[in-house]
Amino acid sequence: MAGDPYEALGLTKSASDAEIKKAYRRIAKSDHPDLNPDPAAMARFKAASAAYDLLKDPEQRRRFDAGEIDAQGQERAQRRPWRDHAEAAGNPYARSYGFESDPDLSDVFSDLFGRRGFGGFNRGGAEDPRNFHVRGQDYRFSLQVDFLTAARGGKTRITLPEGGDLEVTIPKGVRDGQTIRLKGKGGQGLGQGGAGDAYLAISVAPHPDFRRDGDDILLTLPITLDEAVLGGKIAVPTIDGPVNLTIPKGATTGQKLRLRGRGINGGDQQVDLKIVMPPRVDDDLARFMEAWRKDHGYDPRAGMKAGGK
Amino acid sequence: MARHFSETEVIATLEGLDPARLHAFVAAHVVSPVVTPQGHAFSEADLARLQLLCDLSEVYDLPDDSLAMVMSLIDQLNTARGDMRALIQAVATEPDEVRGRIQKTVRRLRVVTLSRDD
Repeated sequence: MAGDPYEALGLTKSASDAEIKKAYRRIAKSDHPDLNPDPAAMARFKAASAAYDLLKDPEQRRRFDAGEIDAQGQERAQRRPWRDHAEAAGNPYARSYGFESDPDLSDVFSDLFGRRGFGGFNRGGAEDPRNFHVRGQDYRFSLQVDFLTAARGGKTRITLPEGGDLEVTIPKGVRDGQTIRLKGKGGQGLGQGGAGDAYLAISVAPHPDFRRDGDDILLTLPITLDEAVLGGKIAVPTIDGPVNLTIPKGATTGQKLRLRGRGINGGDQQVDLKIVMPPRVDDDLARFMEAWRKDHGYDPRAGMKAGGK
Repeated sequence: MARHFSETEVIATLEGLDPARLHAFVAAHVVSPVVTPQGHAFSEADLARLQLLCDLSEVYDLPDDSLAMVMSLIDQLNTARGDMRALIQAVATEPDEVRGRIQKTVRRLRVVTLSRDD
């Protein structure tokens, strides 16, 4: 918070504790970022909540008034409004807003957005009062899969809210944020209404070594000084096990090599080389380097624009 | 992404949230944590949602059943807003001629033009 916390609440120093609370609640009611989309409202709300955090505690307020602490450092951890999460695709709290039951538009709607029913209460979708065929409710789950299972595909079991469990096949190459639909694995329908579907929102846990860029796998590969100088064949981990890779003579940090077809679904594995020094520079190495640099000196910084010598 | 928080972590992170309140939110189905062998796990998005729930119950003194109704409306609005955004983005990439046709239809359905008496 930059300015005066009293000002942020529209008050002066003489305000009572009750007035401070009242002022904060008034601003929160009108300017909460989840209720008011105006960016100026969000700024007012941020300033007011930081001010309120500082002034709501009488002891802290006394110290601020006495000049012992300043308004800085009282800011709440930056928070991301719920709305940012809520508009994102695959939000598990997504909720129907009326088109599914429109006989003329429901087909267009489901073609566009691929949804028929939602979680939450008021489920059941289109209900014709003349009969009692109601499609079962859809279930929504969040499912975390580890990096390699997501990359290679596999099977996992989930437990259903009604008890019982379900084996789920994770398709090869599934991405973070994708949703898997399991047809007919939702709640039982009524009458001739079929069962609902189960939707699994997938989150992929990060891997300590591998990263992903679309169907390519990225890996930073540490190599020794001698491997960099002399080149050679070394075993590189890939998502399907180790593969031999030829390091060219004179390889350097940041050099990228490509293992074709070792990514996901025909993607590649990109290997980013990183030269790692031995844990200790021993006398042999130091002696050799001293002799070597006498007449082999080179300047890797020659091309730098920033100057310096 | 993919980071999850335990009940204890969530309560420590969010001011104004205590175990009783968190359990009430879960029981009212206004927040749906992932069920794990170690108990409930909350995503980053659940945390933002819980913050909003705390704000709403704090500022408006909302009882749990009203809170569920308010959240339902907010969820409908956000879902519609996300869909609308996608739709507008899709329209924006269409050629002028298609956009013109869409504009014409939308105007016919949504914009009332009053004829002015000269």
